[in-house]
Amino acid sequence: MLQTVAENDQNRLLQVERLSQQRQGRLILKRVSLACLRRQLTVLTGPSGGGKSTLLRLLNRLDEPTEGRVLLNGSDISSLPPVQLRCRVAMVLQRPTMFSGSVLENLQSSFRLRREPLPPADSAEIQHVLTLCGIDSDLLPRSADRLSIGQQQRVSLARALLTSPQILLLDEPTSALDRPSADRLGELLRQLCREEGLAVLMISHDLRLAERIADQVLFLSGGEIVEQGGAEILQRPATEQLQNFLAEPLLRKPEEGAL
Amino acid sequence: MIDLTLLDLALVYGLILLCAALVRLRGGEVGGLLIAALRMGLQLFLVGYVLHLIFAFESALPVLLVLLLMGAMAVHTVAGRIKERMPHFYKVVGSAMLVGCGGGTIYFCVLVIGPDPWYNPRYLIPLAGMIIGNAMTGASLAAERLSEEIRSRRDEIETALCLGATAREASLPAVRSAFNAALIPSINAMAAMGIVFLPGMMTGQILSGTEPMIAVKYQIAIMCVITGSVAVTSFLILQQGCRGYFSPHEQLVLPERAD
Repeated sequence: MLQTVAENDQNRLLQVERLSQQRQGRLILKRVSLACLRRQLTVLTGPSGGGKSTLLRLLNRLDEPTEGRVLLNGSDISSLPPVQLRCRVAMVLQRPTMFSGSVLENLQSSFRLRREPLPPADSAEIQHVLTLCGIDSDLLPRSADRLSIGQQQRVSLARALLTSPQILLLDEPTSALDRPSADRLGELLRQLCREEGLAVLMISHDLRLAERIADQVLFLSGGEIVEQGGAEILQRPATEQLQNFLAEPLLRKPEEGAL
Repeated sequence: MIDLTLLDLALVYGLILLCAALVRLRGGEVGGLLIAALRMGLQLFLVGYVLHLIFAFESALPVLLVLLLMGAMAVHTVAGRIKERMPHFYKVVGSAMLVGCGGGTIYFCVLVIGPDPWYNPRYLIPLAGMIIGNAMTGASLAAERLSEEIRSRRDEIETALCLGATAREASLPAVRSAFNAALIPSINAMAAMGIVFLPGMMTGQILSGTEPMIAVKYQIAIMCVITGSVAVTSFLILQQGCRGYFSPHEQLVLPERAD
């Protein structure tokens, strides 16, 4: 028993303690606490305006919380230089944003922005993320803004992985994808957890995907975590709020579309 | 130079009346036109008297006071022209104008031309007026474009921050584009000089009896000084103004707008 607790502590990459965020006098997050473990995939779901994106932005310090703290490997993230923090806690924003230039230049952008030597196209690092994210190396010289949304999604994921993060934060990575692409991305994220040892925290409304790939599901509504547990809570919700949320017809749409 | 009598002025104001008649003929409103023409007369006579007084003073203090007043009016005009003021607008634009225009004026009037006495208002006031007027246009363009670029490139900037960029690195494309926009009028004016139009200062000097070649050299000199002052002013506005959009923790902080 003791050993398990110690192991858990060691695996606890990210710990969020009573995080609150107030904007224009409105409390958007209310003392939210959660933990993300190594090799674990967490899906954060809930109604729009419930505070999901706000929460994610606090975790790599794109915004400052009004109250509470975030611990990375046990140390408060406000004591880390933000630039360093963001390389350990990578985040892919909801709309994939490509910098002007080729796909390769986009992949190299984190190095360029940090004024580090650029890895060439045939370097092990670039080749590794290409394989991981399923990007054809023929795409490298192509102009990045000509890619499809799905391809851009993959490139932005690969770009984030090149900062060698410990944690990956994703804001609705599958919202612009069709069913098969969303499934492939889900598999990839699972693989990143299992094989690369990352912790993944993703916002998603795609509950069919969440049921398949999530180790942990957090239901955030009205700025509070109303229910949390394994993927099974999506089958057997304990709270009325999650039951109502799951009953919304819009949520199951991607699945129906694929049939 | 041949003086104009009040009768001469009355004769040219006749052309304004002709203009008003033509506007009325086509059913337009003449109120704005007549008020503008009267304002011009009154304002210029007022300025003439002030200049007359300052020339008579033969002291540096009133000259410097007039220059400061011109600069303050310019900052006020920029504030009125642009849609969205950056954080710390007056501090940023005021200090940039002071350095850019003050530096340009002193460099050109005192060091290059070297009149006796150094504050000779006959040189200092008209030349500083031209420098401040052009820097004002550059400052408006720089300030306007900066806020537009930061807002429209929000995703790009935050993506760069997420990839470990500092605020400075992340905002570089926005700053670059705003800086180019600020310099365009000066560059265009230099390229078109002498072909598309004969510049006002040169024409004025020739009218008042200056040797054309001297007038040409003055025109070339003032254009170089204007371009330099516009560049320094806009550069400082962008440099300092950009910082206002970020917190010390490399976070993009956009002033709230109603959703």
